Amino acid sequence: MNLFTSFMLTSMFMLLLPIIMSNTQLYKNNLYPHYVKTTISYAFAISMIPAMMFVSSGQETIVSNWHWLSIQTLKLSLSFKLDYFSIIFIPVALFVTWSIMEFSMWYMHTDPYINRFFKYLLMFLITMMILVTANNLFQLFIGWEGVGIMSFLLIGWWYGRADANTAALQAILYNRIGDVGFITAMAWFLANMNAWDFQQIFITQHKNLNIPLLGLLLAATGKSAQFGLHPWLPSAMEGPTPVSALLHSSTMVVAGVFLLIRFHPLMEQNKTMQTLTLCLGAITTLFTAICALTQNDIKKIVAFSTSSQLGLMIVTIGINQPYLAFLHICTHAFFKAMLFMCSGSIIHSLNDEQDIRKMGGLYKPMPFTTSSLIIGSLALTGMPFLTGFYSKDLIIETANTSYTNAWALSVTLIATSLTAAYSTRIMFFALLGQPRFNSLSPINENNPHLINSIKRLLVGSIFAGYLISHNIPPTTIPQMTMPHYLKLTALAMTITGFILALELNLAAKNLKFKYPSNLFKFSNLLGYFPTVMHRLPSTMSLTMSQKSASMLLDMIWLESVLPKSISHFQMKMSTIVSNQKGLVKLYFLSFMITLTLSLLLLSFHE
Amino acid sequence: MSMVYVNMFLAFIMSLMGLLVYRSHLMSSLLCLEGMMLSLFIMMTVTILNNHFTLASMTPIILLVFAACEAALGLSLLVMVSNTYGTDYVQNLNLLQC
Repeated sequence: MNLFTSFMLTSMFMLLLPIIMSNTQLYKNNLYPHYVKTTISYAFAISMIPAMMFVSSGQETIVSNWHWLSIQTLKLSLSFKLDYFSIIFIPVALFVTWSIMEFSMWYMHTDPYINRFFKYLLMFLITMMILVTANNLFQLFIGWEGVGIMSFLLIGWWYGRADANTAALQAILYNRIGDVGFITAMAWFLANMNAWDFQQIFITQHKNLNIPLLGLLLAATGKSAQFGLHPWLPSAMEGPTPVSALLHSSTMVVAGVFLLIRFHPLMEQNKTMQTLTLCLGAITTLFTAICALTQNDIKKIVAFSTSSQLGLMIVTIGINQPYLAFLHICTHAFFKAMLFMCSGSIIHSLNDEQDIRKMGGLYKPMPFTTSSLIIGSLALTGMPFLTGFYSKDLIIETANTSYTNAWALSVTLIATSLTAAYSTRIMFFALLGQPRFNSLSPINENNPHLINSIKRLLVGSIFAGYLISHNIPPTTIPQMTMPHYLKLTALAMTITGFILALELNLAAKNLKFKYPSNLFKFSNLLGYFPTVMHRLPSTMSLTMSQKSASMLLDMIWLESVLPKSISHFQMKMSTIVSNQKGLVKLYFLSFMITLTLSLLLLSFHE
Repeated sequence: MSMVYVNMFLAFIMSLMGLLVYRSHLMSSLLCLEGMMLSLFIMMTVTILNNHFTLASMTPIILLVFAACEAALGLSLLVMVSNTYGTDYVQNLNLLQC
């Protein structure tokens, strides 16, 4: 008996302590953020021990603590599944959250409610941990809803701003639509397999699993911003940058992908679902990469980049490689969080300027941010032997050598080159060239909180891929042999994207901007998707309900059909039929003459 | 036919002439309507009393009731016309021309 479960549960429980302390004096002084950050760093250190144990011996555990209730034949208990996925994800998430907490100690320093901000971030982390370690669908749903609620509270952090409230509401609504799929899957599992535990679901034989898997795919679409339910992710950039770094790049949006990864034994056998997943991921990654090309807000470009990488993860699940998708989740967390933190550093230094057309020339004043932004972008595009290479290149190779949908494959390759294109665009506009910002900007990156947090993630972005992929237990065998042109495809597409974007940016730098072409408008307005889908269905349903309730029922059936129609009909008939001249005296006179005449005639009749 | 009936019948005919032939005021035809009602009432009462037709003794009362209603209607129409035009000249009732 080793201390595996003790260490893991200690690490989880430590995260609860600052929340419990929030009623005491500790919450009210200004050391609370430091306390939260230290707690998370200790939790990370402690959770590395079970991770090492897993790496060396492959020990997986299921901890079933407390039997909550039994509803007839369904037993609900508090149970933690500490397997390959959770044990590796928890240290990664805690490491990234540690860096983000330290970063937000610098970023949110002047915020009067900074203690509440840290409490919200910590609550989000706790619900994410619940989601990741859940062994039954009910506990996973608790974590699922929890991250949704904390996302709402954190996106709308500056609630005085109407756009932030709209964005938070948008996030909730789109996630809700996904939750319908989740609940469908839960109901199906309950009705047909009588269990919400993963073990029982995976053992039970069933012929047609399309319905629950479709429900889970819908849930992943909602939570991970796939095409169709994607507009909330760029709108969620209304929240503060630490929120964007934590929730909408590393942790919350991968919950949908994580759900599909958890169910990989069921998805392995269902070819239809795999094709659907593949096509959905492919269209997401291409569409969001196209949209990212012409955005002007630096956070929105990184948000679309996240969405595109999420599509890539879904594509990986679609080619039946859940472990590769998980590896991409872990490596993506590092460089994406770092990209957001670098954007936050730039934004704060330029006095809250987020438009890349008003940045430029930050190469000399902010060297550290510049170098970390460049390294993060290179890691994102899959530069050989940085972090992203170990997951992204493997994904592209596996997709190239597998018997898969050719359209999805080519679309993914195009999206890979577009990734390089918009990364070049960020670097070109924000860092290179002559400055385009106000002269009196307080450019200062000399704060140890900022430097240390980005430095930690920088080291992670460079080395984490190597470290993780060489220490994990072997799972599915990667493709070892392939023709050389297939092996070099990812690299070639990336270099093409880089060179094209650099040439276009350099050539068009001083040209006058004429009227935008149709393709530009399509890309800049996010494919017209929010414009159409936010206005058209709501207008139609509201108009239809107004017409049917007010016009149809009230005004037609109750007013116009009998009462008004009778009076109108009568008046019309009387004006048509009558042709009088109103000569009343003449009429009376004729009446009298008729009477007299008839009297005279009849009295002299024999 | 006895003289009483002829008398009342003549009264009825006079009122009828007055109803049908009038110059300008609507009120005069309404008055003649009342006269017609009066002569009818007297005729009916005298006939019933003379022939001891006891069962029909309530008919004059009913006639009175209906005549009162009709007089009220006629007066209300007169009031409406007078409200619109100020007088009750018959030449005002010319709106229904085609």
